Amino acid sequence: MRGQVSKRTIFAFVGPAVLGLALVGIAPLLYAGWTSLHFFNLTQLRRVEFIGLENYWTVLTDPSFRQAMGRTFFLLATALPLQLMLGMGIALVLHQPALTILKTLARLSLVLPMATTYAVVGLLGQVMFNQKFGVMNQLMGGADINWIGDPTNAFIMIIFWDVWQWTPFVALVLLAGLTMVPGEVEEAARLETKSWWTVLRYVQLPFLLPGLVAVLILRTADTLKLFDMVFTLTRGGPGASTEFISLMIQRVGFRAFNQGLASAQAIVLLIITIVLAQIYIRIFYKEV
Amino acid sequence: MSLRKLLSSAALAGVMATGATAQSDGWSLAKAAEPYKGTTVDVIFLLRPGYDAIEAMLPEFEAETGININIIKSPYENALGEQVRDFVAGGDLDVALIDLVWIGNFAENEWILPIDKFTSNPDLADPDLDMDDFFPLVLNAFGGWNGVIYGLPVDNYSGLMFYNRCMLEEAGFDGPPATWTELKDVYGPALTKDGKYAFALQSKRNETQSADSFARMLWPFGGSFLDADFRSNLNSPGSQAGLQFRQDLMQYMPDGIVAYDHAEVVNGFAQGDIAMITEWSAFYSSVVSPETSRVADCVEIAPEPMGPAGRKPALGGFSMAVASQADEAEQAAGYLFIQWATSKANAVEYIERGGVSARQSAYADPALAETFKYIPALVESWQDGVPEFRPRFAEWPEITEIVQEWGTRMMLGEVTTEEGATEIGTRMEAVLEAAGYYSGEKPLAQ
Repeated sequence: MRGQVSKRTIFAFVGPAVLGLALVGIAPLLYAGWTSLHFFNLTQLRRVEFIGLENYWTVLTDPSFRQAMGRTFFLLATALPLQLMLGMGIALVLHQPALTILKTLARLSLVLPMATTYAVVGLLGQVMFNQKFGVMNQLMGGADINWIGDPTNAFIMIIFWDVWQWTPFVALVLLAGLTMVPGEVEEAARLETKSWWTVLRYVQLPFLLPGLVAVLILRTADTLKLFDMVFTLTRGGPGASTEFISLMIQRVGFRAFNQGLASAQAIVLLIITIVLAQIYIRIFYKEV
Repeated sequence: MSLRKLLSSAALAGVMATGATAQSDGWSLAKAAEPYKGTTVDVIFLLRPGYDAIEAMLPEFEAETGININIIKSPYENALGEQVRDFVAGGDLDVALIDLVWIGNFAENEWILPIDKFTSNPDLADPDLDMDDFFPLVLNAFGGWNGVIYGLPVDNYSGLMFYNRCMLEEAGFDGPPATWTELKDVYGPALTKDGKYAFALQSKRNETQSADSFARMLWPFGGSFLDADFRSNLNSPGSQAGLQFRQDLMQYMPDGIVAYDHAEVVNGFAQGDIAMITEWSAFYSSVVSPETSRVADCVEIAPEPMGPAGRKPALGGFSMAVASQADEAEQAAGYLFIQWATSKANAVEYIERGGVSARQSAYADPALAETFKYIPALVESWQDGVPEFRPRFAEWPEITEIVQEWGTRMMLGEVTTEEGATEIGTRMEAVLEAAGYYSGEKPLAQ
């Protein structure tokens, strides 16, 4: 049957998508690659010149870039396990039989944090974590914690909001994975053992792995490009304590206007993201 | 009162008495604008009282000229980026709004036009323009670059000390501190108690850190960003004394002061939690309005305290200049708008509506100074201001990012003032070297 479809028809269906992808994805990437090899400052466009890999050398030898990258991975290493643990817990609870209406309501409410605009989360955070009149300090018995002005507390606040916003996503993905487990297999396993851990480890987890890998890849990519919420909440401060890599790239590219250096930073970030995604797929998909 | 001020006041009174902008030689705003009726002028305004004042006065201008002013509102932090992107892309902006630290950048890129292109045109130039009426420091610093005037000052600031007279009197003081040292050693301990603070220095990591916090402590103590050879002067005894003073003063400020921007500091003062702040004159209307301030009746204004090197108050503010990318009609219409907004004739109304004018003649009326308590301190501060309070050259956007990062780290104690100054100096010199200042490719701008 496939041989009967003309190349023109195939192109007509596939072509627009490829063209669109090239225009919005490939072309800017190629332009960023070109920019990264030049001294390219928006306020000094008369001085645009080819400088080879100098911008990349600057990126790789700049302690501020390494610190921002370290901060970003520390956020990933703290927030992601929390999201996985809490998400798994929520998914397992919602996978239990009975209480159908409550579970439906819970599923619906899980969508709310994800549906909240990132920037709005940051603005909410500014109010809720305000030292004087914020609800968080009130909930903690009228504590006088300086959330936004203290480097450590500000970082904890970012972790809190990231976990609040993205745990539901993890929960829904894992819940979908749990529904893929054949009912008779799960039922048979529960007759064999009363240990929920054994059921989870040997029966449910294999069905959850594809979803987990997707979560790992998406959340890693999301964390590496985390911007809006932090920008509106702390703007990277106090000091540089919440300046994650994407905030740094924005600062260099759009506040210092050094587009060449910012492009080099962005391409290094892209390479790191691709490498991480490959590592996840190779490690976890082996077990499937 | 000087003869010039007297004459200016008389001229102003004459204009106001006639209630029109028609001149004796036949020039009038309506006539000058006749060829440009229907032209739309695009301009960026900040979300600050000085711009609200112009916006409130605008219907009169539009009715008289037929020129439409399209205002694009932007917070300060976005204004530079929006304009740079617009000019680079050949966008729609016809009038540039220029912070004094952007003027070198805008002028060197030829995004703005020298004002004499228009002031030399008798069809456009108001005979009452009177450039000499602007405070010279303000005109040159806000609107001038390399001896050429590009913009006319529109929203003009000097750093002033806002103090809560009631809190000071309660603590036994009959006036504000005269020096920074007195503020720290005498007023600080007496006023910092029971959840109240003697002082707050807005230090958030953005232009506030560079301009309102870092630079504010350099100059009064004899420091500066650069020396005469354009090398870093931040490790000089004067600069270090100022930066160390800032560290010592933090014990009398609210916790987390590095997260405080203008809004937090002004609100803290307006709520009665902070006894003294050093803020721009532009925030006067916020702290004396009972709608936004609990301490409106207690607010008093003084010049900033003096340091060992003198008063050297913070200097900031904006000018408006005609954008070179605009077409001829938009340029002419834009100039007429700038000329009108900064005119002597409108200066008093501008002040009454919450703006801060750079017109000397506007401050000649003692009655106005009684109503607006910041006026005497402002006029005094503009006699002592330092035009290069922050370097105004084209590389400032890159340098301010460096100052913001390391200045905040100093305040957080992550690095010492010496270490931070060394880091800033090294990085700042790298930017200046790349720009060609040390090779002689570019003249030492200031």
